[in-house]
Amino acid sequence: MKKETMVAIFLGLLFGGVVAVFISFKSKDIELAKNKVIAPPPDKVSPDLIGIKLRPLELTEPADRAIVENNTVRLKGTAAKDSLIVVQSPIKDLTISNRQEKFDLEFPLALGENSIKIVVYPKEKQFRPQEKFIKVYFIDSEL
Amino acid sequence: MKKTILFVYLVICLFGYLTLNVVAQTPSTSASSSPTVTINKDIQQLKDKIANKVSEIRKKNNKAISGFVLSNDGNKMKINNNGEENQVKFDDTLTKYFKITGAQKKEIKANDIAKNDYAIVSGIVADNIITANVVLIDENFLVDSGKITEINKDNYNIKVLTSDKNTYSLDFETNTKQFMVNIKTLDLERVGFSKVKEGDTVHFVVKKTGEEKNNSYSAIKILIIPQEYFIK
Repeated sequence: MKKETMVAIFLGLLFGGVVAVFISFKSKDIELAKNKVIAPPPDKVSPDLIGIKLRPLELTEPADRAIVENNTVRLKGTAAKDSLIVVQSPIKDLTISNRQEKFDLEFPLALGENSIKIVVYPKEKQFRPQEKFIKVYFIDSEL
Repeated sequence: MKKTILFVYLVICLFGYLTLNVVAQTPSTSASSSPTVTINKDIQQLKDKIANKVSEIRKKNNKAISGFVLSNDGNKMKINNNGEENQVKFDDTLTKYFKITGAQKKEIKANDIAKNDYAIVSGIVADNIITANVVLIDENFLVDSGKITEINKDNYNIKVLTSDKNTYSLDFETNTKQFMVNIKTLDLERVGFSKVKEGDTVHFVVKKTGEEKNNSYSAIKILIIPQEYFIK
């Protein structure tokens, strides 16, 4: 074999090796870029939400396991402004947009035990919903 | 004539004396009745105050508990209040018993309360024993919400994962009330099963009998918040 042929083969092998190493590194990067991001990295959180404190759902009235003598009760409390409030019981479903932080809703009661679930869905949809569950007993004074 | 004048004079004097006497006695009569009226008023006020105070204390100490009946011997019963056992004492003269059917109530007797009935008891609680004023036999409802994780269109069934990581299997029946929130107006609209999608949020009401298996229930009411509400 000629000397030139040997040099050509050697250079070819060297070049091939370099290309192979380059492709292997590049394909790893491509694979990583294709992977799904499960949770956004901290620097990718919406800048609008940084520093925002969500007003927690508070129910000032009625107390859990309260006994009342009327067939309606006023649900009073505070929740995040412009959130969607859903109140559900076996006899009534109620959805309202909480224009102000304070809310005061009249809610009907059935005779006996009333299981009431209140869920607040904040306007900033990234926040988790807040929930309260209470039982209110409507026991007629005539009983 | 003189005698007649004297007689008339005496009659006038007597009449005048009597009139004066009556007039003089009138104030004394009212004066003697006034303290009696005042005392009666005071007694009534005191009675009212005591009655109000008793009512206030009763209301303050009045508590309500509820649970499935474990046993009942007609004088007392035991109920399972979310895993906690409470003893309920009946009072022959005080305790009243009712069964609630819809919006109606029907008076029953202590012995009509059976095992596994759902009882709501109102009365005075002391040392885990409640002396019942009223016992109501009613239905027990579960009200909860979560995300729809699975839909079976053939069986009209959905699986719901709640925020406290409970999974419920809910069957849609022909009498299940199904509503959906209109994402523009927030009004509730009646919808069919075909509108329900995986990923939607659902609020539901089911009846609990205490004998369910695998958190499987027939839905009484369904309220859907479509996932579009959260991405608008």
